[in-house]
Amino acid sequence: MRSFALLLTLSFATVAFAEIENAVIDVPEEGSVTTEEGLAAFQRVYEVVSHPRCSNCHTGADNLPMWSGPSFGQTRPHGMNINAGESRMGVETLVCSTCHITLQEFTEDSNAIAHAPPMTALPWQLAPVEFEWFGRSAAEVCAQLSDPERNGGRDWVGLAEHLVDDAGHGGFVLWGWNPGGTREPAPYSLQQHVDDVLAWGAAGSPCPDE
Amino acid sequence: MRLTVNGTEHEVDVEPDMPLLWVLRDELNITGPKYGCGIAQCGACTVHVDGFAVRSCQLAIGDLVGEVTTIEGLGTPDNLHAVQQAWIEHQVAQCGYCQSGQIMQAADLLAANPQPSDADIDAVMGGNLCRCGTYPRIRAAIHSAAARLQEA
Repeated sequence: MRSFALLLTLSFATVAFAEIENAVIDVPEEGSVTTEEGLAAFQRVYEVVSHPRCSNCHTGADNLPMWSGPSFGQTRPHGMNINAGESRMGVETLVCSTCHITLQEFTEDSNAIAHAPPMTALPWQLAPVEFEWFGRSAAEVCAQLSDPERNGGRDWVGLAEHLVDDAGHGGFVLWGWNPGGTREPAPYSLQQHVDDVLAWGAAGSPCPDE
Repeated sequence: MRLTVNGTEHEVDVEPDMPLLWVLRDELNITGPKYGCGIAQCGACTVHVDGFAVRSCQLAIGDLVGEVTTIEGLGTPDNLHAVQQAWIEHQVAQCGYCQSGQIMQAADLLAANPQPSDADIDAVMGGNLCRCGTYPRIRAAIHSAAARLQEA
């Protein structure tokens, strides 16, 4: 089996894109956001992360990317018998980047062709299995995002920084709001999403009951 | 723009968003890779980039990093790749349109997994369509090629 490391080293090209704006981080003072406002912010965060643009590749331990949402009609696993494997990027069978090309630069034209596989400037892959969002409730997603054991060891500012960092590499976060083709973008905007994550965190990361 | 195909370096004067498949077929007259769907749904255009199978209809020439191998560079009539030998042995091709993509994907599969099961073959080859339905022969040929490579 060829090494996974090789695939990673092949793909981290320097990205300089001017065409799509990234979000900025403006950290609110801790305690400056009420619990009620924080819960409302989390509800918007959940609308984003449970949207097909995000959740289709935030799937569980079966390592199956999903095809769901208005672009696909009925919900089903990714066609072509695709399984991303434990590597989450298909190294065991068919690497995602066989079809989902790693771009040198993510621009507004990068995903212009309808029904073609989407592409970003990071190698296509599923999110780590701990970040399972597909089919999960708001309470479950909130618990996962609040737990450093399952969120990449991040606090709430770290989560917001992760979003901006990924977008800055022309990655999946940027793509979520610029999916191209006939795909519906994630709701709100990248900036609104970053602001909502920060507001939720500043309110003490309150979680909904359900 | 420069690219290396089957060990030969080429210079082409094209826009960076031209798909590699167009560059190969229209600029370099390397016509083994086929145009099927243009959106990575069929696999007929599969080539290798640094040994990995890639759908050349999706890879803009400006995004190409690495050396390209097409079916013309995988083996020659005098020195066939094990997958090509197995393809002849099992008379896999019917119309033959998809076969260069099938063979390139199968060669990539065996480089990564020298003894694939039927399930492994289905998992890797599921993105390469054959409208003639030669899938049983494709599977058999891949098992034969695997055995031949084990002997070598």
